[in-house]
Amino acid sequence: MDRQEAIDQILDHFHNPRNHGEMPGASFSAEGINPGCGDVVKLYVRLGNDGRIEAASFEGQGCTISQAAASIMTEMSPGKTLDEIAAMDADLLIETLGREIVTNRIRCASLPLDVLKEGIHQFRGGDAPRSTDV
Amino acid sequence: MTEIQTPLNLAAIRADFPILDQDIRPGVPLMYLDNAATSQKPLAVIEAMDAYYRRYNSNVHRGIHKLSDEATNAYEDARKRIGKFINAASFREVIYTRNTTESINLVAFTWGRANLKAGDVVLSTEMEHHSNIVPWQMLAAEKGIEVRYIPVTDEGELDMKAFKEMLDERVKLVTVMHMSNVLGAIQPVREMADAAHAAGALILIDGAQSVPHMPVDVQALDCDFFVFSAHKMLGPTGIGILYGKRALLEAMPPFMGGGDMIKRVELSGSQWNELPYKFEAGTPAIAEAVGLGAAVDYLSKIGIENIHAHEQAITAYALERLAEVPGIRVLGPADAAQRGGLAAMTLEGAHPHDIAEVLNYHGVAVRAGHHCAMPLHQRFRIPASTRASFYLYNTFEEIDGLIESLYKVKETLKA
Repeated sequence: MDRQEAIDQILDHFHNPRNHGEMPGASFSAEGINPGCGDVVKLYVRLGNDGRIEAASFEGQGCTISQAAASIMTEMSPGKTLDEIAAMDADLLIETLGREIVTNRIRCASLPLDVLKEGIHQFRGGDAPRSTDV
Repeated sequence: MTEIQTPLNLAAIRADFPILDQDIRPGVPLMYLDNAATSQKPLAVIEAMDAYYRRYNSNVHRGIHKLSDEATNAYEDARKRIGKFINAASFREVIYTRNTTESINLVAFTWGRANLKAGDVVLSTEMEHHSNIVPWQMLAAEKGIEVRYIPVTDEGELDMKAFKEMLDERVKLVTVMHMSNVLGAIQPVREMADAAHAAGALILIDGAQSVPHMPVDVQALDCDFFVFSAHKMLGPTGIGILYGKRALLEAMPPFMGGGDMIKRVELSGSQWNELPYKFEAGTPAIAEAVGLGAAVDYLSKIGIENIHAHEQAITAYALERLAEVPGIRVLGPADAAQRGGLAAMTLEGAHPHDIAEVLNYHGVAVRAGHHCAMPLHQRFRIPASTRASFYLYNTFEEIDGLIESLYKVKETLKA
């Protein structure tokens, strides 16, 4: 994937977001902001009977990278267990987006994963974050 | 077409800033247009700080030895030159702090804590940097004072009519930025000082964006407090200035307690040192003071009027060329004569961070975000903006480079 292909993929997810919108009956949701860019991402997750993620959706606003990352995150999540997500690092998301493109803006790229992890933490009875900055 | 004219010898000036002569990747030269965030440093500043560490590094106001004497002299001599640069009446009115933010916090938590009571009003503005909002909000939570904000017009100017209406007897302090770091607007601060004084209030002027770029005379402005940072005016990070009228500073309690700010310490209590040392607890940023002194010398040598004239010309040119680019909207007053040297903009269909990213790919360094002015961006209903900001070493060719790169941004982002 060359530079422009990576940009085009990000633009495609930005302009045609997958799994976009509020999810009625979600098992849990979580929201986070990236104060640097002012990006906002809210993720919704529905769990199946087997405890795996059945579906995910998102709402948000901000730069193309954060919103494209959220769109990709909702595609990556189904079928995974919460433990698998909690143990995930941002590398897979960064590689999928194109490392060269997002290298100066890792926080935009990793925001959806951070939000999802925080959601899992709270869903499992953890304390709410001390600030809105995840 | 604006006539391209500058009083500055740009080739000679650029030779003083080695950092400007580099490619951000092979064949793509750096165009540094992020001066409102921080300026680059000339060799004169780098060498002055280097000389301090190589030849006379020592603590100030302490040792009875040659190096300490030299360090103290350099540190205090810099203070005098900085004071002259803004025409302070005495070096005792020039307090070294860490930066503009710390200077404002110092006023809030010494003058404010000692003089403000529940029901009093601090009158700030919608265009302020967070550093001139948050300390007052913190003080409001502590003391029960109220912070009010002078609105900004749709044209990006301070609403002076509203200001005069808001200036009632409850207002004890007006606190305003001299030049907006987003709108570029230069506020009529002398007029505001007169109005504040007539209403029995003091005025604090945030000069972080004005002192580096235009002549400032604190006595002519009749301001009570004036604050700025070294790093935006060719000096180092880690040092800033609080100017205050002497009688006010004399009456204010100290900020932090420690060494150098006391005359005498006994276990039962202490007696404060005289100005300016009362506000300078602990070992200060000595090399940084020396660096700021060298920066002020450099600015004076080039001539701050000449720098201002150059920036006015380059800003007029930038505004004219930006108006050619479809979808670009520049925030702030349309008339370059009412502005300082920056242009914050939005581009339809593109997020400011994405614009900055692609500009960086083409060598243009700008800032994207809310520029520590979230309330101002909310007022214009935009999440963020992309800001190009200019200084004495920027060329008209770099403005052309910015414009060409903006067309590439539109192509890349399909905006």
